[in-house]
Amino acid sequence: MTISAETRDQLRELAARYPKSRSALLPMLHLVQSVDDEVTSEGINVCAEILGITSAEVTAVATFYTMYKRKPVGKHHIGVCTNTLCGLLGGDAVYSALSERLGIGHNEPSADGQFWLEHIECQAACTHAPVMTVDWEYMDDVTPASAVAVVDRLARGEQVESTRGPVIRDFQATEHTLAFPLDGLVNDGVAVDAKMLVGLRLANERGMSAASIPAGDA
Amino acid sequence: MTITSDAGSDLTPQVEMVTVVVDGVAIEIPKGTLVIRAAELLGIEIPRFCDHPLLEPVAACRMCLVDIEGVPKPQPACAQVVSEGMQVRTQLTSPVARDAQEGVMEFLLLNHPLDCPVCDKGGECPLQNQAMTAGRPESRFDEVKRTFPKPINVSAQILLDRERCVSCARCTRFAEQIAGDPMLELLERGANQQVGTAVDQPFDSYFSGNTVQICPVGALTSAAYRFRSRPFDLVSVPTTCEHCASGCSLRTDHRRGTVTRRLAWDEPAVNEEWNCDKGRFAFTYQEQGRVTTPLIREDGQLRVASWPEALDFAARGLSAASSHGVLVGGRSTVEDSYAYARFARVALKTDNIDFRVRDSSDEEAQFLRSAVAGTAVRTTYETLEQAPVVLLIAFEPEDESPIVFLRLRKAARGGTRVYAVGPVATRGLAKLSGTLIPAKPGAEPAVLAELAEQVRAELQAPGAVIMVGERIAGIQGGATAVLQLAQATGAALTWVPRRAGERGALDAGALAGLLPGGRPLTEDSARAAVAAAWGVDSLPATVGLAGAELLAAARDGAIGALITGGVELGDLADQSLGRAGLEAAGFVVALENHHSAITELADVVFPVAVVTEKAGTFMNWEGRPRPFAQTFKDALVMSDAVVLGMLAKAMNIAVGASDVAGIRQELGALGAWTGPRAERPNVPAGPVAEGAHLVATWRALIDNGVMQEGEPYLAATAHLVAATVSATTAGALGNPESVTVTGPLGSVTVPLEIGAVIDGVVCLPLNSPGCVLYRDLGVRSGQAVTIKGAL
Repeated sequence: MTISAETRDQLRELAARYPKSRSALLPMLHLVQSVDDEVTSEGINVCAEILGITSAEVTAVATFYTMYKRKPVGKHHIGVCTNTLCGLLGGDAVYSALSERLGIGHNEPSADGQFWLEHIECQAACTHAPVMTVDWEYMDDVTPASAVAVVDRLARGEQVESTRGPVIRDFQATEHTLAFPLDGLVNDGVAVDAKMLVGLRLANERGMSAASIPAGDA
Repeated sequence: MTITSDAGSDLTPQVEMVTVVVDGVAIEIPKGTLVIRAAELLGIEIPRFCDHPLLEPVAACRMCLVDIEGVPKPQPACAQVVSEGMQVRTQLTSPVARDAQEGVMEFLLLNHPLDCPVCDKGGECPLQNQAMTAGRPESRFDEVKRTFPKPINVSAQILLDRERCVSCARCTRFAEQIAGDPMLELLERGANQQVGTAVDQPFDSYFSGNTVQICPVGALTSAAYRFRSRPFDLVSVPTTCEHCASGCSLRTDHRRGTVTRRLAWDEPAVNEEWNCDKGRFAFTYQEQGRVTTPLIREDGQLRVASWPEALDFAARGLSAASSHGVLVGGRSTVEDSYAYARFARVALKTDNIDFRVRDSSDEEAQFLRSAVAGTAVRTTYETLEQAPVVLLIAFEPEDESPIVFLRLRKAARGGTRVYAVGPVATRGLAKLSGTLIPAKPGAEPAVLAELAEQVRAELQAPGAVIMVGERIAGIQGGATAVLQLAQATGAALTWVPRRAGERGALDAGALAGLLPGGRPLTEDSARAAVAAAWGVDSLPATVGLAGAELLAAARDGAIGALITGGVELGDLADQSLGRAGLEAAGFVVALENHHSAITELADVVFPVAVVTEKAGTFMNWEGRPRPFAQTFKDALVMSDAVVLGMLAKAMNIAVGASDVAGIRQELGALGAWTGPRAERPNVPAGPVAEGAHLVATWRALIDNGVMQEGEPYLAATAHLVAATVSATTAGALGNPESVTVTGPLGSVTVPLEIGAVIDGVVCLPLNSPGCVLYRDLGVRSGQAVTIKGAL
């Protein structure tokens, strides 16, 4: 893979968005993953060159954040939340089933280059636990069987939709959206559903509200 | 030397003091002081790893936790500033603090291999020591430790054993804050956190060795010293670095007559606690290729001779000649340079002497006599740090005086504005956040004369400094322009030579027309005073030959005998002139520690001591004497001064003291000159050379220098040897990967780099592997070359 002149222009465009260009590094690394399927050394060097920092500084960032991968992810990134709530509600079983189906463990690509499996941390979707992500789109309330079914359909090349609506594209397409979020897809699917708002509904019904913030403590 | 201070006491900033109590002892200290420093002032030692007084606090290791009254949890003493009435209790008086520290130590040791018996740091390791004083006696950890393949190279020189690291971030903070080379970073996260570099970019900082020294565990080691010895088997001697005019304090460690390593030594006024990699690692030259006995030439061949025979041979040769010259390389100590200066005037009755066996000019000699020699110290590292603005001319500090660079960087981080006049905005200048005032090589005087009003106004501020490098000698009208600018603006003008001995040689009088202490030879009273001190009736009264004139005279057969001391022909831009001069001189006496082109041309060679074998003084660029003691007390090799003394004796001439103490006494008694000084140079600017590509060049810090021989790991960290041009110039050449640069003597082929170089200029290293300009091309800075894309 090489970073094309067009990608370089896009990286420069991202860098120009911030008062301190270095702030653009996170979306820039997502853009690198969108073209290279991973954060390549070349991608690191190009980011460093554009931002006027060292490749070591870029490497530090690229290795600190878990969404950046230093080897090719493959077509689809599969994440299973195994934090406490999801884990107890079946996330661990979902992960095991997927691991067995794909024959890979944590942060490993499948031999056919189709999938990457990862234990992921809380996705702020505990309402729909256990939660799995496919290319960072939500698959809510999964079971071992439904999770394996999603992977099977993807493997057959069938169209799969997130339980919240958006069509699953692939890892690189999602990475492009993460670099350029204003690509028109932001309102695809359901952001909030009734199940997420149960607490609010109950609070409203019972007249509950949070204590007011004391003055001067803003 | 006296350090003058014109800052009145009323300028001293008012410091707000607060009273804090540490372990029941009250102390009044400036507000904003860190708790750990307050404790130090009371003699209370709080264990620590990440804390370093010259690095910004980070509180990464958590070892220094202390109990502060009113604060619910233990706080890191290295990041907590004191406030009025603060009550601090350390591990000495607080069980909370003690428990916290023991807990931290237990965590730090969880994944530490405890391989002290095979670790280079063992015996001088803060982790080992503090595990004893502040840790639990027994580990409770019985799991499998995290391990890494070991070691990895973060550069050719620096090795990293990751499992020993405690993630204190001293090395990474040094790289970023001090050196400005953030090529070493903390990578990964959590339990996998580790120090590392980018995949294809090693930590090739000129200052990388400092990270080994400040690493509080054995994680960073140098290829040069790894597994060589145990610290408790070494003898340590404080020394002064011989590599450049920065004048760093070093500690030389030796065992069984061999230097095993050198460390930066603490000298707040000079190098703080840092040094450069050349000063740290380049010492193997001291043992290789040495001249071990006197040699005399017989039937065209050098042969070993006894001292009496060689002295007699040299004395007869010198006495037989009717005209003499003395060439002193720029590496001599003050004492040795003084001995040469005195020997020339007293024993040889000549003023033909020069320490500048390199690119030099008459204008430079006038500049040095009139404005530098024997002057009181005005600009120091400290004033540099406080200067509002510093202008650099013909001087690339990172390569040519690296500790000046570090102090300038500290200054720049504190707000000092840095300007450089020249054709290249170097990487070093970028690290100083500096501004380039573009000037084609040779056009510097014109640019200085028409300096922007704003820069001129900035230079008028009190404390402004102009630093000029020895390369000013190669710019016609350069020294004149710099002096005029300094006079017009009132900025302090400082000359920063490259070699350690040049400033001292100047003050010792090893330059035609100049007697010790900056005394002009042409002043009757100066001459009389020195003659009296040297016990002779008179001294030569006419200014002798220097620089290229001296060599040209030798070439033309006008010099009957030459004495050389530590001279390298490769330093001369016109090497054929140097060679022809030495060949044509009737008789050549060489005082050398190594075999070289000079010893091949000499009629007599005397072995002399390297820095470890003698005591002496280097005078650094500030004009600050940096005395050092003899490392190897039982070394039998004699200094240049002692050999010259014996030579004078063989000639039946008395020259005075030859030992270090005696020479220092003589020099001290002479003192500095306060009378009228020599005339300032007044040389018009020369023409800028014609040609599509003019050469800009200087010596890289790590290059082909003879005093870097025998240190392959250091050599491997040198910066890329390349021809650097502007993007426009590269485009005009067709953007080739490498280029062939051709001069009168030949050509070199090197990679092409695009950099912040002005159009029509090509920047090349002067003396690096595969690119030795004087020898391979026969060009000096400012001359035109042709460039072609290489096939």
